[in-house]
Amino acid sequence: MVMRHKRLLSTACTVFTAGLTVGLAASLSACSSGAAQPSNLVTVSSNQCGGAWSVQGPGWHTFQIDNQSTGGGEIDLIDPANGAIYAEVENTGPGTITPMRLNLGSGTYAFMCNFNDFDTQVGAKVTVGGHAKGTPAILPVSYNQTIPYAKKYQAHAEAGLKVLARKTATLAADVRAGDLTAAKKDWLTAHLRYQTLGAAYGTFGDYDGEIDGDANATGVNSPDWTGFYRLEYGLWHGQSAKELTPVAATLDKNVKALLAWWPAQQIPLSDVGLRTHEVLENALQFQLTGNDDYGSGTTLATTLANIQGTRYLLSLLRPLLVPRYAGLPAVYSGLGRLQSLIEKEHRPNGMWVPVSALPASARQAIDAACGAVLQSLAPIASITEPRNIANDF
Amino acid sequence: MTSEPREPSSTEPAPEPAGPPPGRRSFLRGLAGGVAGGVVAGGAGGAAAGYFSRSAPPAPAAADEAALTGRLPAVPFHGKHQAGILPGPTPVTAVVSFDVTAGDQASLTDLFQTLTDRARFLTAGGTPPPVGISGPPSDSGVLGPTVEPDGLTVTLGVGATLFDDRYGLASARPARLTTMTSFPNDNLDQAQCGGDLIVQLRAGSMDTVLHALRDIAKNTRGGMQINWRIDGFASPARPTGTVPRNLLGFMDGIANPSVASARDMNSLVWVQPGAAGEPSWTAGGSYFVVRLIRMLVEFWDRVDVFEQETMIGRRRDSGFPLDAASIHATPNFATDPTGDVIPLTAHIRLANPRTAATEPSRILRRGWNYDRGIDEVGDLDMGLIFTCFQQDIERQFKAVQTRLIDEPLVDYVSPFGGGYFLALPGVTGPSDYYGRALLA
Repeated sequence: MVMRHKRLLSTACTVFTAGLTVGLAASLSACSSGAAQPSNLVTVSSNQCGGAWSVQGPGWHTFQIDNQSTGGGEIDLIDPANGAIYAEVENTGPGTITPMRLNLGSGTYAFMCNFNDFDTQVGAKVTVGGHAKGTPAILPVSYNQTIPYAKKYQAHAEAGLKVLARKTATLAADVRAGDLTAAKKDWLTAHLRYQTLGAAYGTFGDYDGEIDGDANATGVNSPDWTGFYRLEYGLWHGQSAKELTPVAATLDKNVKALLAWWPAQQIPLSDVGLRTHEVLENALQFQLTGNDDYGSGTTLATTLANIQGTRYLLSLLRPLLVPRYAGLPAVYSGLGRLQSLIEKEHRPNGMWVPVSALPASARQAIDAACGAVLQSLAPIASITEPRNIANDF
Repeated sequence: MTSEPREPSSTEPAPEPAGPPPGRRSFLRGLAGGVAGGVVAGGAGGAAAGYFSRSAPPAPAAADEAALTGRLPAVPFHGKHQAGILPGPTPVTAVVSFDVTAGDQASLTDLFQTLTDRARFLTAGGTPPPVGISGPPSDSGVLGPTVEPDGLTVTLGVGATLFDDRYGLASARPARLTTMTSFPNDNLDQAQCGGDLIVQLRAGSMDTVLHALRDIAKNTRGGMQINWRIDGFASPARPTGTVPRNLLGFMDGIANPSVASARDMNSLVWVQPGAAGEPSWTAGGSYFVVRLIRMLVEFWDRVDVFEQETMIGRRRDSGFPLDAASIHATPNFATDPTGDVIPLTAHIRLANPRTAATEPSRILRRGWNYDRGIDEVGDLDMGLIFTCFQQDIERQFKAVQTRLIDEPLVDYVSPFGGGYFLALPGVTGPSDYYGRALLA
């Protein structure tokens, strides 16, 4: 499955290679076109954060952030009363000029500068008069605020892994005993349990590939292909209990290894927010396409498990989201719609309609609902990304 | 004729007009609406309205420049009719069929309003609003920080299936709208036929079209789902000053009614107010036929040029009718009743017999070439996106197509998809939206 690298805040000079190139291009084009007016140039460095600046009044405005420090930094335009952020420029390289564009409404503004190895600075307070509405500010989430959520998530996943380990033990025993009917049933419950933890796939590292990897890279006949989907392929393609016994045993062994490894891991603080849309991104890419159907036809059930996992993450982040994200009710109604459309495809015998067998209109409705909910989930990662916050707030 | 890309100026002289407030419509929830401004719309009747068009050809130098920079002036969005119908083919197009997945009529209205908002912004251009830390960017960035109009038009049509029992619109169905039926030489793939809606995007370059498609799809997610799509291009006229060729190597779309003639357009293209049996909301619309036609180019290239020319009825090199010495000469079928010069089965003769009786069956024909890879035996999958606009599909497209049944050309082409639609009446102003009279 997909690993996703999330930007790290200003940790190493190498990070700025790309930023530097972009910045230079911006600064060159600003010079050649004469677009950078001195009044819009905002100088930032390790000992000044914007200096004295002013604007004519409310309206669209582009500041040119001139980083004169020797290192990279993150520059925010904030409401100095509460630290809410109007606009942000991340990873400005030393010696670069980066535009920051927003619609300035009436209110009070200040630049906040975070440079590597320096304290956070807040610059001069500037008031924009009148009664104009501009780009709204959002209260940032601090690193400290995020830590409890990451910890809760880690404990939740650990509890889930313990349940999973019991289920994979049962599954391995079914196969060893030659009861493939029971194995199919227990395969599904175990796999769905794993998929509710999908939130963590990035952090499960190599274990995820061993436990839940598809055969896209290896092909279905490779001995290197292990895990749930390998077992599904065998169970639903007439492979014998003898042949599948080591497959199921390896799965169980890898789940237990993951369970032993997991509690000591440090979860990147931005992960919980990222996973709120990534779990269903993967469902759309691998389950609703049928890519990860190796015979059981249960990718709709897997998508439901992913919805359950997403719901857990949302419940975790809810205190952060309610005051910050007006689109949250649409997220919940979208999840409800997707869930009810999928539940219609649950067969009385407990199995599921494979996506490839869905009538076109039902499949379209499910895909559309999934696309819609993903669109509404997308802002959450940005809103809940941990940020440096000045000590004053 | 072309505008240089504008640097966002550091201090905009006037506040840009705000887009629709986020959250006003369900499909815009959480997504900021576009902000118009920043790019000046082209003058009324700008050259975009005549790009490659016979009636108003751009000066060659200007056309070359436009082709090089890929930027055409804005085509005004508001009007009695949709702006993408009359102008000749732009360099690129995308034809995209959607099925509506909105839950009820109110959501369908939201969908049409959102489509209107996006089309209005994308065709005018402007700078998408920054979103701060509130989410991913509102725009894909494919066109850079400022969206250039690049001659973009967005033409929206409705298919017969929209008028089933889902949205309570059965009684409002356009009188002459049906689903597309198969002709004897067709090989229709139902997965590439029909749709509740058709959106045709046309512009100066492919990035403009794909930017618009992504923007529209993103902002309408949940309300409609892509059913099938095809991208096309119009070739430059070769030699310069002639008519663009299709992938059979022949000039295509020579004999069109004049878009400059209001009389012709009112008698052939636009649904007229009070037309027999038509619901009043359809006035100003136009029936829109799309046919996806594979050309078996390998086979065609193994046919000698004389046989090719007698199948078409024109010279391949010059585009002249076989009985004349200029492109736009009217072939004189009356003096050739047995088809000694232009065979009775030649494409141009069957398609447009040039008789008083067949005048009302004329169509406004717009063709684009498509090219999309290879087939199962490694032959090239390319052909024609045939589109035409008319007042009455039965009287016009179907009459023409019926005359063409079993023409010799059918061995070299294979219609495999498309559909029948009604291109909606135009959006007349800032408070109007697509289908307002239908949904009111």
